[in-house]
Parts: sequence; structure tokens; C-alpha cells
Amino acid sequence: MAHCERASKPLLQCLRNTYSRGVAGVQLQTRAFQSTASVREPEAETPSQPFHKAPDPSLVTSPRLERRLLRQGTTPIGSRRRRAALQDSENLPFEQLPYQCFQEARKILLADREEKLKEIEVMRQRLARQEALTDQESGGAKAKKSRVTAMQLHLERLKVLADINDPAVKRKFEDNEGDMSKPIYRFLADRKWREYRRKILVQRITQMNVVPDVLPHCDPVVDTKLYFGKRQVQAGEFVDAKLSTSAPKLDVQMFEGGEKLVTIAVVDPDVPNVENNNFDYKTHFLAVNVPISATSTKVDLAQLLEDSQVVLPWLPPVAQKGSPYHRLSLFIMEQKDSQPLDFAAFKAKENNRDTTLLRSLQSRYHLKAIGAHLFRTQWDDTTLEVMKEIGFDNANVELRRKRVEPLPYKRRNPSSFR
Amino acid sequence: MFKPRVLTPLRALERAFTPAIRSTPTQSQSLLRTLSATSTFPKTTPTPSLSRALLPFTQVRHASHASQGTANQHSRDPAGKRLGAKRSGGEYVVTGCIIFRQRGSLWFPGENCGMGRDHTIYATQSGYVRYYLDPLKHPKRRYIGVVFDKDEKLPHPRNAPSRRKLNMAPVPMAERVEAQSDLVASVDENGVRVTDVPAVEAESGLQMRPGYMYREANWEIGRAAEKAGITAMPHDRGNRWLAWRKRQQRAERAAQLKSLKGKKKTAKK
Repeated sequence: MAHCERASKPLLQCLRNTYSRGVAGVQLQTRAFQSTASVREPEAETPSQPFHKAPDPSLVTSPRLERRLLRQGTTPIGSRRRRAALQDSENLPFEQLPYQCFQEARKILLADREEKLKEIEVMRQRLARQEALTDQESGGAKAKKSRVTAMQLHLERLKVLADINDPAVKRKFEDNEGDMSKPIYRFLADRKWREYRRKILVQRITQMNVVPDVLPHCDPVVDTKLYFGKRQVQAGEFVDAKLSTSAPKLDVQMFEGGEKLVTIAVVDPDVPNVENNNFDYKTHFLAVNVPISATSTKVDLAQLLEDSQVVLPWLPPVAQKGSPYHRLSLFIMEQKDSQPLDFAAFKAKENNRDTTLLRSLQSRYHLKAIGAHLFRTQWDDTTLEVMKEIGFDNANVELRRKRVEPLPYKRRNPSSFR
Repeated sequence: MFKPRVLTPLRALERAFTPAIRSTPTQSQSLLRTLSATSTFPKTTPTPSLSRALLPFTQVRHASHASQGTANQHSRDPAGKRLGAKRSGGEYVVTGCIIFRQRGSLWFPGENCGMGRDHTIYATQSGYVRYYLDPLKHPKRRYIGVVFDKDEKLPHPRNAPSRRKLNMAPVPMAERVEAQSDLVASVDENGVRVTDVPAVEAESGLQMRPGYMYREANWEIGRAAEKAGITAMPHDRGNRWLAWRKRQQRAERAAQLKSLKGKKKTAKK
């Protein structure tokens, strides 16, 4: 095999070169709907410095260089196997690859795309016509609304279908270069999220009973990542008290177009109440009117505006010594019709951390949970320090289990033993 | 060999029946003699014709009956294992109280209950026992739960927050003791007494310790290297040179031991 490869390599290279030269004029087509695959020009200039001095993230294969790149803050692109394969490839764009079958298949896909684009145009016109109709003409406001929504859904679906078979789109998405303002990349990202990360999240919030304890129901539709400093926290992970003294950063990835205004709340349902022998709720953070969209995903809870967004600023979570672990659940709640809430009225009403219940907020302001996250805290070496910092009342008190008095010994059915 | 053995029971039979046969005048002759006379077989083998005549008296055991004796059947029956409900529905239980003993999971642990390694259901909270079904959780399983109020019902609605109890009391936090105490022994007329040395005196020098020894405390011996200022080189995963040297040394040592082993064997021979 190796011999045959070696033998055919010059031939192939020669073929490739002629092919690219021959087709170079043809392959620059204009794309009406969106520009996805930009033809990569083969870099002509030779690198002035050796590879190990300035490693290319798309070609690096040695673990040492990869690590160096990671330390510098750039992630190597794709898998190591792919990067190794790219090192001695011509790095030709898909249009110029010398595989006949591949090119024939591409032609079919391109024809399909053209068809889809036409369908999109037709659908857009129909939608515009439908929207221009009055209620009477289309048979009632309800019927019109349902028809328009169905058409919009179909249009979104067509937009995805137009690009889903494009190898360049797939490649771009896999390289994390996808543009989230385009429906196809949002669709792919959503699918990827639902395959694994969402399942884990749903499992954590249901197994740890966050969902019936804090909110009656939650169907996450946005991907939420939580960072304390630079460290990402997985759902349900234990976080040191010292680390969580400052407010976390969020990465809220929406998979729908448009912008939404959300309310963000961090609630601890495990505050021990010794007098009543049960647990209380405590709101560690509450902010309203936070805008999120598919392209602007970063939300720093410490950077939100004091005068128009933050209702209750971040309170570092601490767990008393001996108390069961605290679940700190973060919920992202969509405000109704993405309308801003009246901040002053909200702040005047919901200013008590201990009495604010997320359930009642949800029903009072018509919020809908679209995202969730969770981390836990327990007593650790740094807790006492944090407690003193925030002025925690019972810093020098620990909780001990109460003794369970055994039932009095009672002889069951004594007459039969005699 | 075979014939006399077969004939003996027949002779016995004849002896038993002769009085009855004699009484009937039609059969005045001996049964054996008549039968042997009618048979075509020689006198020495009268068995087949005999069996035909004595059909109502022979015992036939067919395969449909048990072939082995059933004499000790009842002694093989094991003792009862006292399984079943130990606490009925509505009864008050405390934490750890066993509610149901079973083989396999006939019942599953529901709210505030746990399952032991032999599938025993026990309470994890004090309260009142409930036996219930929870079709939303599992369509076929039967659950045993414990509720806090006497008239509370199970299962709870799916979206209701869970009802929990803290069962903890606040205690002032214990101060961490820095110095360690140690055991010492004292010998007097009452025998050997092992007592605790207060932490302050622990480092005062050699003391009489269990085993009639004046020596330092165990923990002091353990800290000897620390006192002497001997520090071990911290392990560095990346130091492959050191790792290689150690590996080489180990291999050398192993080779040496192996060679010694071989020499001994040859010496024996």
C-alpha cells in the first residue's frame, strides 16, 4: 500500500495542481443566501521563523506545542489526527478536490440548495402576503396567527435545510468558527448541546431535586455555562467558599434568533432553620432585564448595572459546619414577551433575600424558566474566613445531629409466647 | 441362579393359600402341581404361567409414583425466615427502624426510606409509615414511605417541593487541639495502669510506656526526620531522568537477586 501511495503521489500532486489551475475561474460562484465557504488561498509566502517558534493552531500535532498554544490562550483546531493529516495535504478547498465522485455528489447537494433557496423565496412572499391580510380576510385573528406561526416555523426549517448538507458549513461548525447569527449554526449548536450537555444538566437538576424544590418545572432551552474566575464549574460541582466570594460569570448561549430580556436568580433552598427544624430559601442573587441573544452570550453577574438590573447583589454562599450541602441553583427566566420589568417597583417589592421565593416571582411576573445551572457548597477550610468577611451570624456554631430516641421496647403479642 | 430365587416367594405364597385352596373341592390338587402340568415348559421353569394365575396378588410399581422414599421429607423443610411487614401502615417509626423484611425487592423504598443490602426497607426519618403506589414514578412498583404528619398522604404531587427535616442542633464549634497527647503506663501495687499523658507533658522526655519501656511517644518517633531537618525530594512527574535512574536501580537489584537465586540452586545440586 505504502509503495503504491508513494508511487502515485507525484501523479496526484500533478493532477491536483492542474485541476486547481483549470477550475480556479469557475469555482468563484456568488452565493445569494449566505456566504459560507470562502475559498482558502494557498499561502504562498514561506514562514520566516520555524514552526516550533510560532505553531499554527490548525497544524500543530505535538502535545508540547499544543500545550504551549493552550497556555497562550488559543485552542488547537479540530482533532490531532486531522491536524496531522492537514500537515502534508495541499489544503485544497472542497471545490478543487480531485475526487470525481465527491464532486458529483457536491453537484447534487448544490442543486438541492438552489431548490431550497427558491422555496425560501416563495415562502417569504407567501408569509408577507399572509401578514398583510386583515383578520376578517384570513378568518379570525386566531386562525391568522396560527397560520403565520406555522409559516414562520417552516421558513426557519427551510433555512436550516438549505445549508445542512454543505461540507464547508460542517467543517466551520466543527472548528468553532460558526456564526451564531445564522440559523444553520444555531441549529447545529443546539443539536450538539442536546446530545450530551443538556442531558447531563437535566439529570443533575432532577436528581438533586432542584426542580421540584426551587421551581415546579424547568425545560432548559439555552445552554448555560458558569465560571468562577477562569474556572468553569460543571453542573452540581462542589465549589470552595473562597472561590465563590465574587459573583460568577455566565455564558448563556441562545439557540433562537432575536434578543431576549431575562431575569437571573441564584437561590439556595438548603438554609438550615433550627427553630422550625426545616430548611429555608435564600436568594443569593437577583437581576432583571438582562439582555441575551445568540451572538452576545457573556453575562458577568458582577458587571450588571446597579441602577437598572441588579435587585439583590451577589451574596457569597457559605455552609455552616455540619450542615448538609447547599445546592445553589441558578435559573434564567424569560420575561413575558421580552418586555422590561419595572425595575424600581421590582426592587421595592423584592428586597428581602430570605422571603423572596422564586415560585412566587415566577407567577407574579409571568416568568418562564429557559435555563438552569447548579453548584454546591459545603463546609471547607476557607469557609470560616469567608464567613468572617461577610459577617455571618453563626460563624462559630456548628450543627450536630440530634440523638434519635429509640422506640420503647414492646413485646408483640405476648400471650402467644406463654 | 435365578430360578430358585424366584420360586421361593411363590412357595411361600402357596403355603399361605393352601388352606383356602384345600377347602374348595374342585381344586383338590396342589396349585403348583396343576400349573406345572398344564404348562408346556419343563417342570423346572414354572414362573410365567404362575404369574398369570397370581395376577391379583403381585405388586406393580409404575414410574408415575415416586421412586424414592419420602421418609425424611419434612426434616428438609427449613425454618421460617420471619420475613414480612414489621411495621404496618400508619405506625410510628424512628430513624433506622426496620419496616419490611423481604427476599428481593417486593417493595421499594419511597419517601424517607432506604433499602438495605438484603432489600430490607428501613426508615431514614422518624414519622408514620405509608404503603403506597406512585404510578408517575414507576407504573408497577409498590413503595413504602414515611411521612412527618399523621394524616399526610403519599405520593406527594410531582411538582411540590420536598418536605424535609433538619434534625440538627447548634453546638459551639470545638477548638482544634494543636498538640497531641499520648499513652503512658505506670506500674504500682495495683498492677500496670495505662493513662493518658496531657498534651503539655508529652514532649517532656522519655516516659514509661505500655510494654515496660521508657521511650518517646510513637508520634514523636514518626516526626524524627522532620526534627532532624531531613526532607524528601518532592515527586516531580516530569523528572524522567530521576524516574529512569530509579527504574534502572530497581532492575539491577532484581537481576542481582535473580542471579543469587540461581547460584543457590546450583550449589544444592
